Amino acid sequence: MLNALAALGRFGGFSVAIAARLVRRPLFFGHILNQTWVTTTRCLLPVVAVTFPFGMVMALQGLEIFRLFGAERMLASLISIATLREISPVLASVLVAAQGGSSCAASLGAMRIKEELDATEVMAIDAIKYHVAPRVVAMTIACPLLNIAGSVSGVAGGYFTAVFIKGESGGTFMAELWSFMQPIDLYGGVLKTTVFGLLIGLISCYHGYRASGGAAGVGKAVNDTVVHSVVAFITMNYFLTSALFGSVSP
Amino acid sequence: MTNFFAGLGRYGLWCIQFLRAVLTHGPPKGQTLHEAFRIGIKSLPILLIISAFVGTNLALQGYNAFKPLGGQRLVGMFVALAGVRELAPIIAAAMIAAKAGTEMASQIGVMRIREQVDALEVMAVNPLAFLVAPRLIGIVLMLPALTLIAIFVMMSAAYAVSVFQLGLAGHEFIQFASESIAPIDFFYGAIKAMFFGLIICTVSCYFGFHCGKGPEGVGTATNRAVVTSSVICIVLNYFVSELLYGGAL
Repeated sequence: MLNALAALGRFGGFSVAIAARLVRRPLFFGHILNQTWVTTTRCLLPVVAVTFPFGMVMALQGLEIFRLFGAERMLASLISIATLREISPVLASVLVAAQGGSSCAASLGAMRIKEELDATEVMAIDAIKYHVAPRVVAMTIACPLLNIAGSVSGVAGGYFTAVFIKGESGGTFMAELWSFMQPIDLYGGVLKTTVFGLLIGLISCYHGYRASGGAAGVGKAVNDTVVHSVVAFITMNYFLTSALFGSVSP
Repeated sequence: MTNFFAGLGRYGLWCIQFLRAVLTHGPPKGQTLHEAFRIGIKSLPILLIISAFVGTNLALQGYNAFKPLGGQRLVGMFVALAGVRELAPIIAAAMIAAKAGTEMASQIGVMRIREQVDALEVMAVNPLAFLVAPRLIGIVLMLPALTLIAIFVMMSAAYAVSVFQLGLAGHEFIQFASESIAPIDFFYGAIKAMFFGLIICTVSCYFGFHCGKGPEGVGTATNRAVVTSSVICIVLNYFVSELLYGGAL
């Protein structure tokens, strides 16, 4: 218990240290852009590969429910709202944590083990400013971008199953797609994933930066990163959902 | 693209090798229960937290979705169908891939780069049967149990949110939930979980065995293990769902 509290305090101190580095120049924009590009391209395929089948499953199960009421045309609006609000932000963030966060922790951890971070400090370059802060910013930018890709592919997956496999009408699907949509649905998911991306970036860099004990330490840092960041953002998700969508009646 | 197919082929050959090793040597005794205990108990707290929060969100979104139709009472049915059939098996598999799968990949990867795997072979112990088989049996035993626990926690959290936060009637929630779910659904969930366990364990151990050099090698192997196994699980989930619920059976 005491250990967990101490770790939480260390994490808070680490986050403050990063924030302090981000308000003063230089910000290494090239580095940030580079990291964003790497994270986004690496995670794009897993995110699309996960949200597309999930959209297909939603169409499969949703059709069963709506068939009871003879309301198959409601399917499209259920899929679009569920995907934009919950499924795509959560699944995209899980994949960003699994792919981007863990590779970030692995590369920082390997730098720590090989004493490259110490070498950076010896050359009078601030290691947190040069190596850590750009990664956190990049993760915060990449996560919402990947969420948008995930939303599009989730809805496309639903369309695929409903129209091509189950033989619903494609025109009805497209017409009903936006019928219950509110503006908040479009930017709520992006807002949520920005927060999730920040959490993933901070947690992965924290574990990578503090890795110790050789190759096994890097493995442990990666493991801890994935588990802790998923727990953190799923907990956060409940509060964000209550705050953003709690008062909206679609 | 060529790399992808080459990797797939290597994975297939590795699985055949593993199968042969298990059939000729058999898993080590005593190790299996130990692994099952570690996989099950160590992942339990995280699984409980995650499934509780997924349950709360299901209830919130179900309420939002059915309110314009005047069907708030259907939240119980929505949570039961979505949670029991799809989300609980997927969430449990993703968490086990993130927790136990990464642990397998990094442990075996570290053994590989420290040449402990080679040391096992020198001692005439088959590393595939000795390292992978107990983990495989452990995860196939534990994942269905964890899935059922996840279902229970998810439903309880959804019940708490719908009754105390959204102000729905508790008996209606339970009535609609129990009407829409049949006992066979729990059995199907357990079947799905067994498939997922098989995938997670073989993929993670495959990446551990084919780990690159040094600390980066272990990091990359762990990273690939969790991404590949969760993607395969979710893609597989569609086909299993289509088979079980799509009217094919």
